Amino acid sequence: MARTTQIKKYLIEQFSLEIQPDELADDYDLLAGGVIDSLGLLTLVSWLEDTYGLNVDVLDVAPDNFRSVRAIDAFCDAASAPGPAAGTTGATEAATTGARRP
Amino acid sequence: MSSCLPARIVRHAAHHPDAPALFWHGNTTGYGELTAMAGRAATWIAAHHGGAAAPGPGSGERPRPLALVAKKSPEAVAVVLACLLLRRPLLIASADLGAEALSALLVSAGATRLPAPAELTASPGEGAPPVPSAPYPATGDPDDIALLLTTSGSTGIPKIAPVTFGALDRFTAWAAGHFGLDARTTVLNHAPLNFDLCLFDIWTTLGSGGCAALVDQDLAVNPAHLEGILRARPVHVVQGVPLLHALLARTAAGGDASHLAPVRHVLITGDAISGPAFAALPPLFPRARFHNVYGCTETNDSFVHEIDPQDPMPHGALPLGRPVAGTRAWIRTEDGGVLHGPGRGELVVRTPFQTPGYLGAAPAVSPFVPHPQDQDGGPCYRTGDLVRRHPDGTLTLEGRRDFVVKVRGVRVNTAEVEAALCAHDGIEEAAVLALPDDEAGKVLHAVVRRAPAATLDSLTLRHYLGQRLPRAALPRTVRWSGEPLPRTSTGKLDRTALTDVLGPGPSVPRAPAAVGAPAARLSADIRRISQGTGD
Repeated sequence: MARTTQIKKYLIEQFSLEIQPDELADDYDLLAGGVIDSLGLLTLVSWLEDTYGLNVDVLDVAPDNFRSVRAIDAFCDAASAPGPAAGTTGATEAATTGARRP
Repeated sequence: MSSCLPARIVRHAAHHPDAPALFWHGNTTGYGELTAMAGRAATWIAAHHGGAAAPGPGSGERPRPLALVAKKSPEAVAVVLACLLLRRPLLIASADLGAEALSALLVSAGATRLPAPAELTASPGEGAPPVPSAPYPATGDPDDIALLLTTSGSTGIPKIAPVTFGALDRFTAWAAGHFGLDARTTVLNHAPLNFDLCLFDIWTTLGSGGCAALVDQDLAVNPAHLEGILRARPVHVVQGVPLLHALLARTAAGGDASHLAPVRHVLITGDAISGPAFAALPPLFPRARFHNVYGCTETNDSFVHEIDPQDPMPHGALPLGRPVAGTRAWIRTEDGGVLHGPGRGELVVRTPFQTPGYLGAAPAVSPFVPHPQDQDGGPCYRTGDLVRRHPDGTLTLEGRRDFVVKVRGVRVNTAEVEAALCAHDGIEEAAVLALPDDEAGKVLHAVVRRAPAATLDSLTLRHYLGQRLPRAALPRTVRWSGEPLPRTSTGKLDRTALTDVLGPGPSVPRAPAAVGAPAARLSADIRRISQGTGD
């Protein structure tokens, strides 16, 4: 299962969205719609750490990195990339451009 | 010497330019730098919006408000200071407000939105002509409006509560004296910049020559961020909602509470704290005195109670304590009279710090009323809070007389959320329930019935609400009902039956999914927060 689908399933279950995964668009603004609030954000990061074995610098947990399913997916890419640069800057960049880090 | 707040800050900067004013992400902003940034912003504002002199003095017209829509930062604080110096009324709006709610708010305030703080405070480039210092007006009328704060209403648009310069000066003088703030004091600022709590955390601190340690709004529930601040800069005073204190307790979960040791005053405000949540605090703050601070946006602080850690809740809840200096308080009975002796009623207060009244559309029933036995003393504010006076005279909170609840310390009117839901064409009827939550105090759950043929889903509905309501007012869950919502014999929503409808379904606990993998540090932190405040 694609990671974005897993992320959608998690969001739907955790935040009781009562929709199907394909109804949640990759670019739906999860923050503006109040799906994820500040505490829900940390819960999500905790799940991402456990599910994908990420080691997230806790200070990278800024809302803009998690604004949409696409942004979350890009954050996972950045956080699992080798090197010290994995984190806010890279993830924000990736989230904005949709580009993946090499 | 003037006692006006912005003048005090500028004077302190002139004498102690290197003294720390703000602490932000590990960096210190000195008073000289802060006032220089404010000066650049003031110059920009004067050039583009006519400064304090527009419209001219004596014209009888008040200058139009400006609006700052920004997350907290040293630059944003400098822009607020610039407007205070220029004596231009400033609306501080949440950067999280949906687009429609924001534009309605700006219209209601008649305010012009300012550019981003970084732009306003930027240093002029090389070769640019030197920036002339902004022509600050001399101290003016204490009844001039300094700031426009917002609070929840029942109509969908936040109510605007102006704060005058006089109120600001009286509040900062009282608060600095009561909590002993001076040039050696560092105060933690957890609340977003648009919250009334900043009148203490930031503005009383700066007026005292102290340092405000700013929590990044984006990281405000992240214990590592809070711990990082407290370890980098000793903090002497913390004020916040119960959630902040739970988060601070988490920062000491590893057994090392040395970063909390310098704290002298812990102010609990915004919502009731539970017995177990409070009990966790005294061991972590060995030198601190604990205060229950009661206030609202309209009046600012009106009661303070120093908590006895040995017997914090002699009547089952923290006592409200005594009215602060110059505050008058009474308990209004159902028939509008004054309750003498023990009993229950609505708390009504008049403080030296309160707003002269809402700006823009007034609520149908004004909460500002005269004291029945002191008609000349000016309006008092009906808080909507029901209090009990115990036989020994102690006051405790007992609930609300309306639909206002606290979500993470933020006042939310569930009637406002219901009105926003029902305004959607695809919705036949809606109810919003506030259920207790360990973290947030209360969380909102919506039960909604679609109009026939409507194809609304929860995501569309959330987007719609997000455009119209503050973040704290967005329901955590939306449950669709195929049946008409239960109503009482008088046609009102039957909230007891609705709570039963919600049952265990959507109000799932927010603990992270159980996993077998060893928890990373953040995961562990969050699990503990999700599970409550104790170890």
